[in-house]
Amino acid sequence: MKERLTLNEDERDCLQELMNISYGSATAAIADIIEKFATLSIPNIKTVSLEEFKEYIKHKLNHDKSHYVTSQSINGTISGETMFIIDENSTINLGKEFDLEEDELIQEELKDVVLEISNIITSTTLSKFAELIDASITFSPPSIKILNSSEEFNDTYVNEYSYIIIISTVMKFEDQNIKGELLILSKDNSILFIKDALNKVLEEF
Amino acid sequence: MKILVTDDSKMARKMILKSINDIIGDNNEIIQATNGEEAISLYKEHNPDITFMDLTMPVKDGFEATLEICKYDKNAKIIIVSADIQEGSMNKAKENGAIGFIKKPINPDNLESMLNTLSLI
Repeated sequence: MKERLTLNEDERDCLQELMNISYGSATAAIADIIEKFATLSIPNIKTVSLEEFKEYIKHKLNHDKSHYVTSQSINGTISGETMFIIDENSTINLGKEFDLEEDELIQEELKDVVLEISNIITSTTLSKFAELIDASITFSPPSIKILNSSEEFNDTYVNEYSYIIIISTVMKFEDQNIKGELLILSKDNSILFIKDALNKVLEEF
Repeated sequence: MKILVTDDSKMARKMILKSINDIIGDNNEIIQATNGEEAISLYKEHNPDITFMDLTMPVKDGFEATLEICKYDKNAKIIIVSADIQEGSMNKAKENGAIGFIKKPINPDNLESMLNTLSLI
């Protein structure tokens, strides 16, 4: 089964390109809202086991900083979950971009901003991706938590996944220290659907 | 026609090449680069008639590669093919010397119309 769930080089290249296109639309949407030029990173694609994913998260979250983590379920021909992770400093800078005053830069207000941004990024990226691979998906409303360690993350999320596609992309805004990362956690049957869809795209070229 | 296609994704290069073949036929000399640095080096070696350039690439991005190629050859014809559809990106690419911008996924009709407008076909 593991072999079937692993992406080969061509499939990974294809997924990376499709995510690049999808994430480009989301970045443009956000850049329009905050009227800042944004830089996209090349999407980093990995298929990992749950244990490997936990290591990845440990590396991301254990830096004595709080992180705002939003989560949104995806249902339909692809099912799973998307997460947007942004550290506290980036969140505060994002809040300022949304014209929050100094006394409004508190967790409840900031959560609201991150939820809104995360919702736009997730829905724009995933809708575009679904369109490109001819899939149909719906989203649940996003929820948000502030986490201080990878242990908290692992206790809260991810235990229902055996293999996970990490599609990690970072957006940076000009002159602003705002860096967020989008993760897409896909269930086993969805990985198989995505693999088949990628191969259909590859056959066209 | 000599055409340089620059993109770190093999699939993206194939998509561009398929559109080119559909529009102007497959009787072209195609050169492929996987990042901006390779593109600059291959440009100097082959002097292509048209260059298609992605923006987000490893080693050297498309903005820098466009700038360097246009410094080397003021008549370089570089068309950006990118998913980064921000107005700021389009403007920056044009300031660096690109003559056109096509949004990914590439639409053959848009490409044909751009090549016509720029009198490249």
